[in-house]
Amino acid sequence: MKLKPERLVWFILLLLLVACSLASPLFLSVRNLRNVLLVQPIGLGLAALGEAFIVISGGIDLSVGSIISLSASVAAGTFAANPDFPPALMVVLLLAMGAGMGALNGLVVARLRVTPFMATLAMMLIYQGAALFYLKKTVGGIPRDFRFIADGSVAGVPVSILLFAVVLALVWLVLNKTRFGRHVYAVGSDPQVSAISGINVERTRFLAYVAGGLLVALSAIFLSARMGGGGPKVGVGYEIDAITAIVIGGVSLSGGSGSVLGAFGGALILGVFYNIMNLLSLNSFIQIVLKGIVLILAVAFYSKKKA
Amino acid sequence: MSDDGNSGTVLEVRDVTKEFAGVRALDDVSMSFASGEVHALVGENGAGKSTLMKILSGVYHPTRGSVFLEGAERSFKSPKQAQEAGISIIFQEFSLIRNFEVAENVFLNREPVGPGGLVDKKAMRRDARRLFQEIGFDMDVERRVGELSVVEQQLVEIVKALSVTARVLIMDEPSAVLSDLELKRLFRIIRSLKAKGVTIIYISHMLDEVFEIADRVTVLKDGKVVGTMGIGETDKDGLVRMMVGRDISDYFPGTRRARGETLLEARGLSSPGRLFGASFELRSGEILGVAGMAGSGQAELASALLGIGKQSSGEVFLEGEMVRIRSFREAMSHGIGYIADDRKALGILPTLSLRENLTLAALGRYLAGGFLKPACEKSAALREIEKLGIKASGPGQRIDTLSGGNQQKALLARWLLVEPRILVVAEPTRGVDVGAKMEIYRIMREFVDGGRAILMISSELPEVIGLSDRIMVMRSGRIEGTIDQAESLCSEERIMSLAVGHHYSFGEAAS
Repeated sequence: MKLKPERLVWFILLLLLVACSLASPLFLSVRNLRNVLLVQPIGLGLAALGEAFIVISGGIDLSVGSIISLSASVAAGTFAANPDFPPALMVVLLLAMGAGMGALNGLVVARLRVTPFMATLAMMLIYQGAALFYLKKTVGGIPRDFRFIADGSVAGVPVSILLFAVVLALVWLVLNKTRFGRHVYAVGSDPQVSAISGINVERTRFLAYVAGGLLVALSAIFLSARMGGGGPKVGVGYEIDAITAIVIGGVSLSGGSGSVLGAFGGALILGVFYNIMNLLSLNSFIQIVLKGIVLILAVAFYSKKKA
Repeated sequence: MSDDGNSGTVLEVRDVTKEFAGVRALDDVSMSFASGEVHALVGENGAGKSTLMKILSGVYHPTRGSVFLEGAERSFKSPKQAQEAGISIIFQEFSLIRNFEVAENVFLNREPVGPGGLVDKKAMRRDARRLFQEIGFDMDVERRVGELSVVEQQLVEIVKALSVTARVLIMDEPSAVLSDLELKRLFRIIRSLKAKGVTIIYISHMLDEVFEIADRVTVLKDGKVVGTMGIGETDKDGLVRMMVGRDISDYFPGTRRARGETLLEARGLSSPGRLFGASFELRSGEILGVAGMAGSGQAELASALLGIGKQSSGEVFLEGEMVRIRSFREAMSHGIGYIADDRKALGILPTLSLRENLTLAALGRYLAGGFLKPACEKSAALREIEKLGIKASGPGQRIDTLSGGNQQKALLARWLLVEPRILVVAEPTRGVDVGAKMEIYRIMREFVDGGRAILMISSELPEVIGLSDRIMVMRSGRIEGTIDQAESLCSEERIMSLAVGHHYSFGEAAS
């Protein structure tokens, strides 16, 4: 039987859930399930969607973690200095920053023609340095109104889930139902062919980075709301998690293929994986080693499938 | 120095046949190469020259037949084995590492190792220098290959081949990238190799070169040997006649004689070193064929016209009005479409479905309120699939799982959906089976019958002659002549004589 990656992902998730419930009695508790399936995946899920957008367009973004760090630092730092800063304005500010950082990445890649890997590696340094310069350490003090995004609920449904569902639907719509979305796939599949089909390759690449930056900013908003604070190190490792998640979800790192739902499924799998490692009280350094192994297995699995 | 180094046969092929998926590229080929001779191999594109050379150099295995080297039957499993046995091939695109110095390139993967397992760079440079001197050239072996001229790079390739004691050296169109002056140097190199008893197999489209350097010449055509002659026993006329003289199959939809007004006029299209002042008109209702040997400027002509060429210049008039085309998007906005020659690299989007590939260039037509209308898009795709007879399980099938012919039809459909006035098509039927070919010809003819026009670049002469209303022949970046089939039917010989620079006295209108 041949399964499309996006269906395969859900199948693997199911297997993983069964295995986890056998491995740890704590896993099936309502609190844990709620945490692992509803709360945890949102921060990573949003970042993974942003990464997926960029990778499908044929790029990569190594600056995801630094964008999160810088955004969360700005949020926490601003609120610490001025507790009355309007939360809604903060959301707008962070989104604008995310889009701006994405645009900067996109300019360096599309206009200066620096390879995506090098461009975003350099931008990672720049954003990380800026975050450290702006805020020396993690601070709390995110006001209740802002935290509503992460722990409030409307008619019994958590706001965060509503938010995520809306974003997921939007991203799916843009990628699958708009001309721009089709161009993203086309450019990722083959930029040369796209160019001689009349597609503005430069612009498409640029906008994919802007969209990615926006999604990562959403991730930062959610994360700082949930933690009630932020600092220059909160995003460390997020780019690796985002890339791992979308690779598990069947998004090809060579561009042009992959789906939004697959990327989301990958984020869920990675979340469950982290959760069970914690429940089993694995040494945190061993956890990092296992992460690396999972990443290799995922990539090897798909490249073997392709061959 | 030697007119015929007749010191016996060094390499021989007997009854060699090579088939690719049922298509016969070589058909019972037998020929022999004498030691110390320059043996030219000529023939049209697709005559089987490259296939034969790839068999000799171990890239391909013959389906049937055998290769003898110095009397012993050999079956090379890889180019490396052939090389070790003494047969080296120098490809058109060089296999040198530009950032390495000359000596490092010559001894790549065979670096002399000194005590302690370290590469002995001194010995390497000394040996490299000696190899160049042996064939009479002084070369600064410490220079980076990237800094060398093209002919110097070729020399490095040759020395690299000689350093593994090559008995036979195959040169596949070495002159394609050379200036006249450089060509003279290359001939000097060839003569000194010959004097050392090395056999040279020289493939070229340029008959002048063949007559200057070769001792014997073999003509291949449709995978068969037409004949082998001493160079004194033939002339250009004779060779051209042997290279063509094939029946034109009767599956072309015929050429139209009546043509409309001028749709497009190009004046002085140029690209530095590649294309020199090409001017032509394209009229409504016609297919204008562009013929010529591979690499004669056809690709640059298309690039210059379509705004793809970076440094190209020239003027383009559309229905009398001058337009500036600086990018392909601008060409497209003027109603010009383009199907490139390399279906895999420049045509299909392999990771996407047939439907997505079809509607790629015309997506704007299926939008409503900013969103694509799947039903609308799908029905357009289905319509084209039916109209063009594309064989697929449905519009959702991934395009890279379709056959070459169906992929090619899909690319035509992609542009039919855009409805351009002018279509530039390169190699419309490369790697396509006969059935699909006929259908593609019919589609192209129907397209121009609606008052539109096609500029078709093709290396297949029967196709050019069978389909084009007029034929431009290019050579060395220039339009050598234009043949109007309304005035006189074109023959392969007329095209070939223009393409190889040997004029008949038919009086073609020179551009």
